[in-house]
Formats: sequence, C-alpha cells, structure tokens
Amino acid sequence: MTHVIADVGLAESTGVQILKSIVIFAVVLQVVPLILLLERKLLGRFQARLGPNRVGPFGLLQPLADVGKLLSKEQATPTTAVPWMMALAPVISILTAIATLAIIPFGDVRNDALFGSDVGLYGIDVSIGILYAFAFGALAFYGLMLGGWASGSKYSFLGSMRAAAQLISYEIALGFSLLGVVMTAGSLSLTEIVQAQDGIWFIVPQFVGFLIFMVAGFAETNRPPFDMAEADAEIVAGYNTEYGGMRFGSFFMAEYINMIVIAGIATAMFLGGWHGPGPAFLDPFWVVAKMFLFIIFFIWIRATLPRLRYDQLMSFGWKILLPLATLNVLVTAVLVVLT
Amino acid sequence: MIFEQILFFIAAAGAIAGALGVTVSRNPFYSVLALVAHLIALAVLFLLLSAEFLAAAQLVVYAGAVMVLYVFVVAYIGGSDEPLQPVRGPVARLGPLFAGVLFVEVAIAVIGSGLKALGTRGPEVQTGAGREAYGSPGQFGELLLTDFLLPFEAASFLLLVAAVGAVVLARRRRGLEDTGTVDDLARSSPESDDPRPEMVPQGDPPVPTGAGAS
Repeated sequence: MTHVIADVGLAESTGVQILKSIVIFAVVLQVVPLILLLERKLLGRFQARLGPNRVGPFGLLQPLADVGKLLSKEQATPTTAVPWMMALAPVISILTAIATLAIIPFGDVRNDALFGSDVGLYGIDVSIGILYAFAFGALAFYGLMLGGWASGSKYSFLGSMRAAAQLISYEIALGFSLLGVVMTAGSLSLTEIVQAQDGIWFIVPQFVGFLIFMVAGFAETNRPPFDMAEADAEIVAGYNTEYGGMRFGSFFMAEYINMIVIAGIATAMFLGGWHGPGPAFLDPFWVVAKMFLFIIFFIWIRATLPRLRYDQLMSFGWKILLPLATLNVLVTAVLVVLT
Repeated sequence: MIFEQILFFIAAAGAIAGALGVTVSRNPFYSVLALVAHLIALAVLFLLLSAEFLAAAQLVVYAGAVMVLYVFVVAYIGGSDEPLQPVRGPVARLGPLFAGVLFVEVAIAVIGSGLKALGTRGPEVQTGAGREAYGSPGQFGELLLTDFLLPFEAASFLLLVAAVGAVVLARRRRGLEDTGTVDDLARSSPESDDPRPEMVPQGDPPVPTGAGAS
C-alpha cells in the first residue's frame, strides 16, 4: 500500500493528477473575473442601469481593466500595522478557498479516458468528503481575522471581529444542514452522494436542509445580506479597509471562489450533481449549468435584500437557523432508521 | 516513502515550534496564533497516521471553533505589548517542580512505549478509501458507539454541563432577570430603557456568550 498522505481514492496516475489540478485551477481562476463582470452587469440591470459598457464590446474587457488596475496599484501599509501578517492574511484566504475546490465533483470516473488512465472528473475524492471542505472553511477564517487585526485600524478590527462571530455562528447550521443529506446517502464522499441521487435529487426529501444551507452559505461566504464583516455603510470595508492592490484583489477573489465552492457543494449535495438528461459527456456541463444557477441566485439576492442588523444576524443564526437545522437532522435520522 | 518522511519531519518540527511559541511569546495574540499553528501541524501528523477523520475534526473543532474564541477574546482584551509581570509567591516555586514532574512522566511514557516500537513496522491495519478502512469516519463512529460508548457519553454530558454553566455565569454577571432575551440585551443600553431600537446605540453584542455555549 503506497499512499503519499492519507488515502484519497485516486483513480489516475500521478501525471494525470497534476494535469487535472492545473486544469481545475486555471479554469476557475479565469472564471472569477467573468463572474465579477456578470455580477456588475446584472446589478446594473437590477438597478435600472446599464452596468459597465465602456471597455471593449459590451464592456466585455472590463475584468481585464480591473485586474490590470489592481496589479499596478501600490500596497499601502499603515504605520500601526504588522506588515508580515498583513501580507500573510490574503494568502491564507485564497489558499483555503482554492484548496476547497478540489472536492467538487464535475463527473464520475471515466475509464481509460486520458493516456490510458482512468480519470475521475473531480480533484480528489477523500473518505472524509464534505468534512474536508469544513476543515478548510475553518482555516479560511484566519485570513479575515489576521487581515483585520494586522491592519492596525479600528474598522478593520471591527470587521474581523464580526467575521469571527458570524463564522462560528453559521458554520454549525451549515454543517447540520448537510448532515441530513449525508445520512440519507449513507456516505460523506461527494461523488457517492451524487451517485445516490440517481433516482431523486436530494433537494426534494431534504428541502428544509437545502434552505438552511443556502442561508448559512450566504453567511459563510460573507455575501449580502450577510456581509457584516465588510458592511460598507457602517465600517468602511471591514477587514479589508487598509488593503489595496492585488492583496485586496486576493481577498476579493477568495470571496468569489468561496461562492463557486458553495455553489458546487450545493449542486453536488442537493441538485443531483452531474445527473441530467443527455449523453454522458454532457455531465460536466450539467454541473457547471447548475452552479451557474446558484451564482445568479447569489447575485440576485445581493441586489434584492438589504443588509441585516448585527444583532438580527446573531439571533437569527442561533435562535432560528440552528434549532431548525437540528430538528431537520433529528427528523431525517428517525426517517432513515424507520425506512 | 521519502515524501512521507519529509512531511513528518516538517510537521513534527512545526508542532514543536508552535508549542514553544505558545510559551515563549510575550504577546498573548502571538501565543494563540502559535497554538493554531501547533494544532494544524498535529492535524498533518494525524493525516500521516491515516486518521483522516481525526485530522478534519482537529481542524474543524480546535482550529476552527475553539481557537476562534481564543483569538476573539485575546484580540479584544489582550494583545497589548505590555510585558507580562514575573510571577511571585508560592506559584513561582511550585511551577518548576510541576514542570519537572511532568517532564519525567512524559519521558517515562516515551521511553517505555515509544522506543520499543522504533524497530517495528507498526500495526497492520487496512488502509484505503473504503468504509471499513482504518481511521475512516465509519470505523470511527462505530468504535465511539460500541466500545467507547460510556466515555463518549460522559464527555458529551460534561460539555453540556459546562455550556449550561457558562450561560448561567454570564447571565448572573450582567445582573439579568430570567425574563430578558438576547434581543432585549442587544437593544437596550444600561442607561436608558428607550424602546426605539434605532435611537439607542447598539449594546454589547451577545456574541461571546452564544459562541461560548457552542
């Protein structure tokens, strides 16, 4: 038994694994600016404006201009800051976001697909499955926290404190909402959960879990209406107030990658993953289409709902979402045992 | 495999450096961060022992929940550059004694059991990604609910008592009657009983209490 570190059930040879990682990494990083453009365009339409339309045809080159601007900006560091930690924080944020991408399944294992090797259309299929995402989600908090603390400014500090409180409050509800799916499928592995949805998608029997997951997912990704950590009307920009240039860009990119990850997990756990009509080669496209739906939904909610007040956020998380999630787990457990 | 060994030494050195950092650092905030680094290194060591579930639980529970609270509290009240006062009194004399006793105890444990295993290949366990594999969530849960049911339940009961105790203590310190809810707490400031929430400066958010109960 030769395992490098832990057992991840890889179907393919090392070369193909590296190739696969590069493809996932490159594609997602290219998609992030496009989602940004989509968000700005859609927000414009929601607010009866046109959105960005000056750079290139229909404003399509706007992401390039944004990235160019971010890359060429100066990194300002306040005198009260801790410089090395301020540089480290965005690294933690983006590292944990990208690492979580690895478990999102885009398709089943294809036999003999590439260079005579079996290829699973996912990064890795770990035995702990969804817990892998939670482990990195737990570490992602330190990106926001250290960023806010190391900036040495009041607004940054307030933002990171809010992020801390919000993350521990909603992470429990997020975990419990997925527990119902895990119990129904009898597995933690995302690919096995998708395979278990061959007949009926888990959004039907686990609809309450799905709702809780979406609400907690908004809180976990710091998206409006739960963006208390950077609430720009109250605390300037929260934890990233003092950041500029590509360090700010990294925080920003991490937020969008987290959004993609939440969309991917929701697709795999509730919307049947790669299942859909048509031949097998369409599988990854089904996953991408379903993830796209979720991302549109994220943007739609941002444009529609106002930001919650801080104490509302806390009491909602602890007094409504958590008991509801616990009840959902309990009912599901009873049903799983009875049937 | 050579890669495993390299990773082991990196993680082991990281764990020791983190543990040293906790005690050596003068700034409590850096101490807490060193503890986080130590816990992450421990999680890597668990992974090398093919205990994936334990590694994930270590990150989720300790690095993700417990240490977040530590960071939260230390960032609020500690974290200043004020040098810590040297300890005086009987504690200063008893401290080294306890440290010495602990060192001897750990040394006996390491020499007694650890050194014996050096020449062997370790226990034969079934590894892999299957449900029956050693260290998998399935195996873990089965052991917890069969062989170790009593300690497991006792530990969960202890945590429940601690959580209830924390809530009771926090309420008593604020001088609250049992009728007050968290919402009232957040809205009313001690000076005024103004019912209009938007006119009142936001009170102390009930976060630490609620998070502590988790």
